[in-house]
Amino acid sequence: MMPKGGEGAMKTAQETSRVLTTKSTSLASLPDMEGWTRFARAAEESGIESVLLSFSRYEPDTIVVATAMGTATEKLKYIVAYRSGLMQPTTFVQQLNTMSGLIGGRFALNVVAGSSTAEQRGYGDFLEHDDRYARAEEFLAICRAFWRNGSDVNFSGEHYRIEGGHLFTPFQSPDRLMPEVYVSGHSEQAKKLAMAQGSAWLRLIDTPEKLAPVVAPMRERGREVALRCCVICRPTREEAVAAGLAMLPDTEIEKQERGILQRSDSQTLKQALAAADDVGWMNEHLWAGLVPFYGSSSITLVGSPDELAREFVRYGEIGVTQFIIAGWPKLEEMQIFGAEVLPRIRRMEASA
Amino acid sequence: MSDLRFHWMLPKGGEVVIDGVQTPLEAARYRIESIRATSPAPRPDLRGWTHFALAAEEAGIDSVLISFSRYEPEPITVATALGLATKKLGFILATRSGLMQPTTFVQQVNTLSALIPGRVSVNVVAGSSREEQRGYGDFLEHDDRYARADEFLAICRAFWRGDAEVDFDGRYYKVEKGKLHTPFVDPQRAAPEIFISGHSEVSERLAFARGSTYLRVIDTPEKLQRTVGRVLEHDLEVCLRLCILCRDTREEAVAVAQSLLPLDDESTVGHKDDSQMYREGAKAATWLNRSLFAGLVPHYGPVWTTLLGTPAEIADALLEYKQIGVTQFILSGWPELDEVRRFGRDVLPLVREAERAVCV
Repeated sequence: MMPKGGEGAMKTAQETSRVLTTKSTSLASLPDMEGWTRFARAAEESGIESVLLSFSRYEPDTIVVATAMGTATEKLKYIVAYRSGLMQPTTFVQQLNTMSGLIGGRFALNVVAGSSTAEQRGYGDFLEHDDRYARAEEFLAICRAFWRNGSDVNFSGEHYRIEGGHLFTPFQSPDRLMPEVYVSGHSEQAKKLAMAQGSAWLRLIDTPEKLAPVVAPMRERGREVALRCCVICRPTREEAVAAGLAMLPDTEIEKQERGILQRSDSQTLKQALAAADDVGWMNEHLWAGLVPFYGSSSITLVGSPDELAREFVRYGEIGVTQFIIAGWPKLEEMQIFGAEVLPRIRRMEASA
Repeated sequence: MSDLRFHWMLPKGGEVVIDGVQTPLEAARYRIESIRATSPAPRPDLRGWTHFALAAEEAGIDSVLISFSRYEPEPITVATALGLATKKLGFILATRSGLMQPTTFVQQVNTLSALIPGRVSVNVVAGSSREEQRGYGDFLEHDDRYARADEFLAICRAFWRGDAEVDFDGRYYKVEKGKLHTPFVDPQRAAPEIFISGHSEVSERLAFARGSTYLRVIDTPEKLQRTVGRVLEHDLEVCLRLCILCRDTREEAVAVAQSLLPLDDESTVGHKDDSQMYREGAKAATWLNRSLFAGLVPHYGPVWTTLLGTPAEIADALLEYKQIGVTQFILSGWPELDEVRRFGRDVLPLVREAERAVCV
């Protein structure tokens, strides 16, 4: 996950919260070439393949940012989140094809149908959830037609109509005819769209047991599955858990409260604390405790390098092929991942 | 009076020859081929563009116009890459209304402006070919496209005014509580300069209502005087689009211009069926006055109306337009690179010298 504008200077998880970064005075509203370039270089060094650029009215436009960042880097790819319904598909393809020629095709698409009706209306889009997915399907069908042919694209749907569509600027990439398309969302419509028009389904992480039955049908249809998650890796699980707890807001109050509970000799209080800490643990390493504070994409894998490598490989065994990862701070956690976790995963993959 | 501002047309992909010489005739050949499928024109050419952009900066050129069509790369992404590769050159981004939600357009323009502050302006075009528009999913007719462009720009302007929430309920667009956090960044302006081009009455009305600069093809000062007067009354600037051909002697310049006339019926203008400007261009006389040559227009299009002559003649002609109130020009040449260098070296110093003399 690409950091937001100014996030490089934010040292605590609390500062990066959605609540603060969607204030109009937040640096998240401005492009941050210096911070991003530093992060992108570190990502390349850490063995990260792509960074996801998120789309919202609170942030700079992802296509412009990907173009800018693409010219500032050599290897890293950009997963450009975009909402269908904001542009004619022909225009969208022309922008992406131009970008492909400028940065050697180093991008993929993450098509989002839109997660907030209010925000969509500010973009002039008044469709409801299910209709937005129907439109996204037409949108992607037209995009694909341009990528397949380039010329003579004709389409007559409920949401779009194209007659004799022809774009001369081609999609340029050393290894693909069209960009990889991630479709995200948990609804049935999202899954359907991923199967129909996506190359990968992107969703939030859950336990391997819960995911196995939804991953299998995607794989059978030839779609990859990518999981969005966060990571907290420390030398031991205990340290990782402590680091996670420190990211909860009002740490001072929580620390004081925790001290009271721990020092008490009351069995009741001790049990209450244990129970509280249990809430949000989906299994021994998957923690949803940050979700109420940092949003749904903050479900976090927590543990030592060995434990985390094992967890990632477990997802691989049920058919998951990709992960989009974030941490707090993003840069430092990514570097830990690159140095400690990734080499272990690669060793396990090699010996398997 | 402030100094005249000079912009240039960004060359197309593969148009700039970096190592070697390109004759005017070869440049013309490139232009004729540029709408064929084998042309490099549709492919982004960062190397050639950067080479040209640095020469334009050095020549004293203010901005480059990046045109929009299905035959070319998309202007906003091109300006992003090229803007980061240069230091001070501005970009006039041509865009067609109707291809994007205005909120999205503003978000993209604002993002670009934050990357290269003070260097972004826009040229809103309502679309010159019905057939081309349909390929973009746009089925409106000429006058309706202008009505939609008016709504499009009204929404853009509301965002740029800094309205906390933008609400609009029109015939073509509806926006409810629109909000964008990425601001337009420019040390001088709250909104980008908006060039509105076109020769029809509706385009003039659109310019008066929503534009900051009216852009049209050059004509003689006499013919332009009334239009310019009208535009100035509405507090807009006037920018003229033309081609320039400067040589040491007028005879040389005329000879080059005539050598550019294509053989047979080769023409690059057949596809612009819906443009008032193109219909006018096809009927223009060959010499509009002693320095203004329209002979290339039937073959290459109206923007190739050419001001030709010696550096002094061209400087004088440009200053005549300044007299009637024109403040900006968008130039091109054959080849672009040689002509922009010649312009910066031989013509612009004469223009500036005359402007200084008037000031004193």
